[in-house]
Amino acid sequence: MRYSYIKPRRKTALSKDMQLLFTFFSVTLFMLFLTYGFLVFRDYRFDQNHAEILQEEKNLRVGIEDMKVKIAMIENQNILSERVFTKNSVLKDSIHNLFDLVPSRITLSQAKIMENGLILYGVTPNKDIYNFMLQAPLRSIFHRTYSSFYPLDNGWFRFVSTNYIDEEANDEY
Amino acid sequence: MSIKINRQHIYMLSLSVVLLTFVLIFSFLVLIPNGKEYRLKRVEIKKEYRKLRQLSDFSSETSTILQNLQKEHRHIITAFDTPFSVARFEKQHRGYFSSLKLSKLEKKENEDNFNVYEVNTTSEISSPKSFYKFLEAVNSSDWIVGINFPINFKRDAEMIGSSFTMKVYSNNKDKPSDSNTTK
Repeated sequence: MRYSYIKPRRKTALSKDMQLLFTFFSVTLFMLFLTYGFLVFRDYRFDQNHAEILQEEKNLRVGIEDMKVKIAMIENQNILSERVFTKNSVLKDSIHNLFDLVPSRITLSQAKIMENGLILYGVTPNKDIYNFMLQAPLRSIFHRTYSSFYPLDNGWFRFVSTNYIDEEANDEY
Repeated sequence: MSIKINRQHIYMLSLSVVLLTFVLIFSFLVLIPNGKEYRLKRVEIKKEYRKLRQLSDFSSETSTILQNLQKEHRHIITAFDTPFSVARFEKQHRGYFSSLKLSKLEKKENEDNFNVYEVNTTSEISSPKSFYKFLEAVNSSDWIVGINFPINFKRDAEMIGSSFTMKVYSNNKDKPSDSNTTK
C-alpha cells in the first residue's frame, strides 16, 4: 500500500552542497600545499646552490691565492735575474774599460778587481808614462789612489797601483 | 520567531568554518613567512651569483696574467728550476777558456728567498775578449749565475789566469745536483 504519490528521495551524506564545499576546499588546499611544496623545494635548492657557490668561491679563492703566489714568485725571479744580469753586464763593461785604460807601453802582470777598488801590478818604462797615462785616468775614477814603484835592473819600474772608491761617497750617487 | 536551520547545514557550516580557519592559519603562519623568506633568499642567491661571477672573472684575469708572465719569462723560470750541474756548466762554457775548473758547490745564506750556491772558478784565457764573451754567455745560460767580485787576473806567459767566484741562484724547493761536481 502506498502512502505517497512521489518517489522517495535518496538521502546521502554527500549532498550537492557538500560536494561543492569539498570541491572548493580540495582545490584550495591542493593549491596551498602545492605552493608550500614549491617553497620547500626552492628553499632546499637555494640551500644547495648556496653550498655550491660557497664551495666554488672557496676553490676560486684558493686558486687565486695560488696564482698570486706564483706571480709574486715570477716577479721576484725576474727582479733578481735582472739584477744579476745587469751586474754581469756592468762587470763586463768594467773589465773592458780597465783593459782599455791601460796604455800599450805599460804591461800589466796582475789585476784584482774588487767591488770598490782595483789593484794593478805591472811594469812601466818610467814613472812619467805611468803618471800621465795610467794614474791620471785612474784618479778621475777612484777617490783614493796609491802607487808604489820598485826599480828593475833594466831601468824600468815595477809598480803596484791601489785604487779605492769610498763607500760613503759612492752611496750619495 | 525561531529560525529553523537544518542539521546538515549546521554540519556544513561548521566544516566550512574549520576548513577556512585552517586555510587562513596555514596561509598566515606558514605560507606567507615562507614566501617572504623565499624572496629574500632569491635576492641573496642572485647577489652571491654576481659575487661569484666577479670572482670568476678576477680568477680568469689573474690566470691570464700568470700565463703571460710564464710565457714572457719562460727562460728565467726554467733557469731557476734547473738544478745546477758543474759538469754541464763546464761543458757549455769551456769554449771560452783554455781551461776551466769549478770547485764544489757551497750553499750560502738565502737571498730574497732563493737558494744561493757559490762556486769557485779558476780558468785560463788567451785574451780578455774570451772573458767578455763568457760574461755575455752566462746571462743566457741554463742557470741564473752571477759573477762575484773580486776577480783576479794574472799574466802567466802568453795566457791570463783568472779566478773568481760565481753565485748560482735557484728556487728554495730545489737542490742543485752535487753528483756532477768536480772536486
